[in-house]
Amino acid sequence: MKRIVTSLLAAAAAVVVHGQARAADDVVIGAVYPLTGNGAAVGLDAKAVLEVGQDLLNNKHDAIPMLMGKGGGLAHLGGAHIRIVFADSQNDPQKARAEAERLITQEHAVAIIGSYTSATAATISQVTERYEVPYMSADNSSPSLNQRGLKWFFRTSPHDEMFTAAMFQFFKDIGAKTGHPVKSVALFYEDSIFGSDSSAVQRKLAGAAGINVAADIKYRASSPSLSAEAQRLKAADADVIMPSSYTSDAILILRAMNEIGYKPKAVMAQAAGFQEQGFLTGAGPLAEGVMSRSSFALDATKSRPAIPAVNAVYKAKNNKDLNDNTSREFTALMVLADAVDRAGSAKPDDIRKALIATNVPGNQTIMPWAGIKFDETGQNTEGTPVVQQVTNGTYHTIWPFDLAVQETVWGVGK
Amino acid sequence: MTAMVFQVAIGGLLMGLIYALVAAGLSLIFGLMDIVNFAHGELMMLAMFAAFVIWQYAGLDPLMMLPIVAILLFGLGVLIYRGLIARALSVNFNRGMVQIFVTFGLAIFIRGAAQFVFGGEFKSINTGWLAGRTAEIAGVYLPLPQVAASFVCLAAFAGLLLISRTEFGRALEATREDRDAVALIGIDRDHIFALGWGLGAATVGVAGVMLAGFYYVAPNVGANFALIAYVTVALGGFGSLLGALVAGVLIGEVEAITAAVLEPSLKQVGVFGIYMIVLMVRPRGLFGKL
Amino acid sequence: MDNLITRRRRGELWIGAVILVVLILLPLPIADAYTRNLIIISILFAGLAQAWNILGGYCGQISLGHSLYFGIGAYVSTLLFVRLGVPPLVGMFAGGLIGGLIALLVGWPCFRLSGHYYAIATVVVAEIGYLLFLNWDFVGGAMGVYIPFKGDSWVALQFRTQKLPYHYLVLAFATATWIAAWVIEGSRWGFSWRAVKDDVIAARSLGVRVFPSKMAAAAISGFFTGMGGAIYAQYVGYIDPDSTMNGQLAILIALPAVLGGVGTLWGPFLGAAVLTPLSELSRSYLGGSGRGVDLMLYGLVIVVVALARPAGLVSLFGIRRRPKGVADGSPA
Repeated sequence: MKRIVTSLLAAAAAVVVHGQARAADDVVIGAVYPLTGNGAAVGLDAKAVLEVGQDLLNNKHDAIPMLMGKGGGLAHLGGAHIRIVFADSQNDPQKARAEAERLITQEHAVAIIGSYTSATAATISQVTERYEVPYMSADNSSPSLNQRGLKWFFRTSPHDEMFTAAMFQFFKDIGAKTGHPVKSVALFYEDSIFGSDSSAVQRKLAGAAGINVAADIKYRASSPSLSAEAQRLKAADADVIMPSSYTSDAILILRAMNEIGYKPKAVMAQAAGFQEQGFLTGAGPLAEGVMSRSSFALDATKSRPAIPAVNAVYKAKNNKDLNDNTSREFTALMVLADAVDRAGSAKPDDIRKALIATNVPGNQTIMPWAGIKFDETGQNTEGTPVVQQVTNGTYHTIWPFDLAVQETVWGVGK
Repeated sequence: MTAMVFQVAIGGLLMGLIYALVAAGLSLIFGLMDIVNFAHGELMMLAMFAAFVIWQYAGLDPLMMLPIVAILLFGLGVLIYRGLIARALSVNFNRGMVQIFVTFGLAIFIRGAAQFVFGGEFKSINTGWLAGRTAEIAGVYLPLPQVAASFVCLAAFAGLLLISRTEFGRALEATREDRDAVALIGIDRDHIFALGWGLGAATVGVAGVMLAGFYYVAPNVGANFALIAYVTVALGGFGSLLGALVAGVLIGEVEAITAAVLEPSLKQVGVFGIYMIVLMVRPRGLFGKL
Repeated sequence: MDNLITRRRRGELWIGAVILVVLILLPLPIADAYTRNLIIISILFAGLAQAWNILGGYCGQISLGHSLYFGIGAYVSTLLFVRLGVPPLVGMFAGGLIGGLIALLVGWPCFRLSGHYYAIATVVVAEIGYLLFLNWDFVGGAMGVYIPFKGDSWVALQFRTQKLPYHYLVLAFATATWIAAWVIEGSRWGFSWRAVKDDVIAARSLGVRVFPSKMAAAAISGFFTGMGGAIYAQYVGYIDPDSTMNGQLAILIALPAVLGGVGTLWGPFLGAAVLTPLSELSRSYLGGSGRGVDLMLYGLVIVVVALARPAGLVSLFGIRRRPKGVADGSPA
């Protein structure tokens, strides 16, 4: 293991000189993320993990058992390197649009990868559609994005509808397994596009599953205080609280519930902030027992042998483990690089054809998914999420049961 | 039910006192020299980061570091006055706008600098004498960090009132009343203004430290409180300390009640609505001088 | 005296015409979309800043809530187009009219306030509008509104990758705001507004009806700002409350006017010509580092310009200003 890491790091150092020498042949991929402002924490992690991916693709290192895990550049393009050019969207749709356009026209990016928030993805994917360049949505989870008839939109990640379906499936399975049914949920969601989208799906699926929505609370994001909101959650005292929140609010609501002496029976988060390291350290013991859907399972090393190697390089660079977001960004890059490689061409049209033909089995990725295969809307249909739970400050997979590393525990907070 | 009513009311009160403390420094500076500091939230953010750094590297409890951060912010306030504000006051054209945009530019700069130094990650102080502790009285829960913050807030207001009784306070008052005449009686206006800025910054520094004990810390955190602070000051009346205190509590309560009874996502609309109504009746706020 | 003023005003028309011709020709040799986009955004903000200038500069009412009129304009024209099929070329006038109407509604209570009370009140009103739109499902709430692309069309103001049509659209918009400002400068209104700005009490004693003056300025300013919002919506193709009504936007609209020179014909344009490229370029070439360097630079420039050139960047060009000694202290 250690040997792999050192060889990778040495290769990363070598690429600076090497990379410049052959810059002419580089295949440029644009990456649009919020690198300053509100989403900066997530954007900077994305930048770090994509750089790790770039190094793994370009440099010579011991083979990692995954798609494009051999390194040494793109084989079908004479060993050409992938070069990622980053752009800062500041989480603003207009700026995201301008940056995507710059990457395509100035930097000659043959594909764009992005973009964390759904609002920025909405405008980036319009630009890529007009310039006829693939947009690889790594981590945008709004279900509406792939339903706009776009030809150049591809999304490896599951969207909120798939995620939410998994949560409700989990409720059903765990009820059957342990005799602990979920009869009521409390929806708690922020007032931006993410919360609106996520809660709409949850409301719908709760109705379909015959689960009572005991509270339906839309709150103002980044509020100075969430104590009255916590009070409402306490009054409803549902079997499961289902929050859709970014990091800051995730920390705040757990603290606010604690402050009014409320220990929820269960929390099932729509990932986002709840999967961030800032939340886990910020909420500390209060986060114990919090469940969250995830597209990633760091502990699924048995069935996904590539995880330790990739995670080690990422951790060496960014001092964090891979999480729900960074793993998806990494995977999207690998799928894109694979498509360029199979296309044997850096022409957007060839890349698009190769993307459509993508069929990667799950064990060739670092994701716990069944696989990667795009439908006609560009959505990966085989991205099957998992459910995880916090124990001792980190997430552990608890569902699907065949991937579970521990039993589900009810109750939140220590 | 009664417990719940009390719980909401107390939550509003505790938060309202924080708002009041954040607004106090803003109001003080405004009253003194007719300047709205648009970097006020950023000063608070810097104080929160200072608290975080001291906690992380020296392990001090937020309560113990209060004087340290207050002094740091006092120095920063004086520095900002000497370096920027004094010059903004000395321009003889378009002064109103120059001061707004100087402090606004400063706010952007500080935010960028904070991101440069600390990165975009959310940080929080999770250990301390009071961190995460609550006390229960007859079914009503009191979060101790907020309770401590409330006492500090009241103490700070008492302190500010005391200062206003001292010779320095009288000099402040005189300068406020007539900026030019004070020079005749041997008061250095510039000196008074600098100290006023120091005092205003120190006040928001105290608020920042107390807040850091239960809130998260990030480069953008100032913005969450800044707008409320401006509304608090305008509602209470620019330059009135008592106004800031009353308005802060009022806003905290309106916000808590709107969130508990009506729609949580519209709680600030409730606050802003009350503010607009008050302003229609009293254009200079509750306690503002006409 | 009169003659001198007429001559100066005619001179400004000539300068305006020359600059217009330059701006018409400017994009022709520039092929790349990024630079063209930069110019378009700069001109759009020049027009918006000029619109702000009509209320903030000539009339002296420091509004920090213009994002509201911008957002209203964007929403009105977009919803008319998406829901009712009204072409944006028409819709943008509707957006402007509603924007102006809202400005009147805001002005009615707020103009009774003075100085900082007015500034803060405009921030608050804009914030209320933003929150209401965020929670109003009829207008798409937080999800915003997508504008479907239906092919190149001047009526729908949609173009696949062409930038040139948008260039001329924003140029026409900015020219309209400039002409409005020019006309106002020479009109009785302009005189009243400047009087209101300099000294409300004196203005009143001269027989200027202060409140109607402010209302008229607000309506014109709101109209153009709403129109700008409508153009923005068609240009970007997607609107949501965060990108069209955010409080930060209000500052971005006012900033070029203030740093360029308030109450001047050229200040807002000059300010936008400097500030917009600065912010876009620093984000593009420094923002990628993710260290906030772009923000620091931007903040620094604002501080330095505001302090070094309190009368705005136009004063660098020695453009004649008001007589000496007339200093306006705090906003009235």
